[in-house]
Amino acid sequence: MKKGMDDIKMSITDALELPLDVTLDLPKITLIGHLKINITNHRGIIEYTKELIRINSKIGMIKITGESLEIRNVLMEEISINGSIKSIEIIS
Amino acid sequence: MLAIKIWNYLKGYVIIRIKGLTLERLLNLALSKDIYLWNVNRINSTTIEATVSLVGIDALEEIINKSGCRVEIVKRVGFPFILSKLKYRKAFVVGLVVFMCLIIFLSRVLWDIEIIGTEQIPKDDIIELLNKNDIRIGKFKHQIDTDEVSRLIHKNYDYLSFLDIRINGVKLIVELKEIDIEPERVDTSYPCNIIAKRKGVIVKIVAENGNAVVEKGQIVEEDDLLISGVVNSEISNDTYLVHANGKVLAETRYSHILEVPIVKIDKVETGNIFNQWGISINDKGIRFLSGDVPYENYIEEIVEKSILNIEWFPFKIVNYIYREVKIEEIKQDIEFLKTSTKLEATKEINKQLSDSSEIISRNAIYTIDGNILRTKVTVDTLEDIGKVQAINSN
Repeated sequence: MKKGMDDIKMSITDALELPLDVTLDLPKITLIGHLKINITNHRGIIEYTKELIRINSKIGMIKITGESLEIRNVLMEEISINGSIKSIEIIS
Repeated sequence: MLAIKIWNYLKGYVIIRIKGLTLERLLNLALSKDIYLWNVNRINSTTIEATVSLVGIDALEEIINKSGCRVEIVKRVGFPFILSKLKYRKAFVVGLVVFMCLIIFLSRVLWDIEIIGTEQIPKDDIIELLNKNDIRIGKFKHQIDTDEVSRLIHKNYDYLSFLDIRINGVKLIVELKEIDIEPERVDTSYPCNIIAKRKGVIVKIVAENGNAVVEKGQIVEEDDLLISGVVNSEISNDTYLVHANGKVLAETRYSHILEVPIVKIDKVETGNIFNQWGISINDKGIRFLSGDVPYENYIEEIVEKSILNIEWFPFKIVNYIYREVKIEEIKQDIEFLKTSTKLEATKEINKQLSDSSEIISRNAIYTIDGNILRTKVTVDTLEDIGKVQAINSN
């Protein structure tokens, strides 16, 4: 019962806090383990090979290296990459 | 994700291979044109493989031509392609549709009528009754009202104890149970035999319908076949079943024996009483003996009295009362005994006789065996011994 109350409190505070990526138009990079990466609010693909993917964004270039990288989805707002990721670098 | 996969399958998609040098530019162009690409896979430096929806492929080809790349379709997946394939196999599609329609149509038609549980009513009779009321094989199931059918059967057969009508698949099932007592209204439509209901000597046999199998003077036992419902055709060698009917008069004999003692023993109380007391605990008794019973002939009487007048209390006082009796032998008049026993035995026999039987002779035989008078009364009667037994053709 107490845990339920805590959860509600958490969600209320979360809802009131304004997200940064929306207000400042920043990309949001979500990494799931070393297997999957989601980038929303990107500005296109610069380079795409199996070992290296470079993606343009407002804050500069996002460089992802890894092995057998594959673009799972590519949309206007979102890009999702599968593969074993070794490093993420932001070059501004 | 499965839902998306199914959606994509229904919408249709193609796997394409794009060859060129400016592949990244192409991808960005595709993004800006809002073309959804997925499973983008680099094969080598000049080739990528991607999946694109059927809607997006035309727009994508335009961009590819603009960017100077070449496109090649590897595989077409999805429902729209199956449909377009079927366009070339019109006969197959027509056949499929006809088959489905036929299945649906045929399953809406009644194909069989099954009757369960009949013993006396022939199944064909019920089926005929149903047919007469337009419930026949080949009729649409939704046109049959089971309540209506139930009412119909109840109206025509008033000796049913149970009736259930249901439609199971393409089958109409009529399940019924007849009342065991045979109805008075004789239904002559079902085939039957006439059998003997008791032992007798045949005097006269008149077969109105059916084949007499016994002759005059013949002795028949109970349940012997008298008139057969199986008749040989006069024209051909075939046999057919009829409702056997007829009169079978036979001499039957009823007898009854009565035994009575001639010398009657009568016990007369003298008035002398001898008492003994005891206690019983849960039906097990202890008796306080105060000598043997001083009488030669006596009647024993046991009286239990509960102490304290409580039902469940296990201790009970038992009073054994012995009353002295004097035995007197009374010799009865034999002639009087004979008449009274004969009357009594005749009365017993009359109970067994049916209304239609005709009494031919009444006989009484007396034998004296020591103290016992045995009276045997025999009555010869002439009666119809026929009994209906249905032939089960099924």
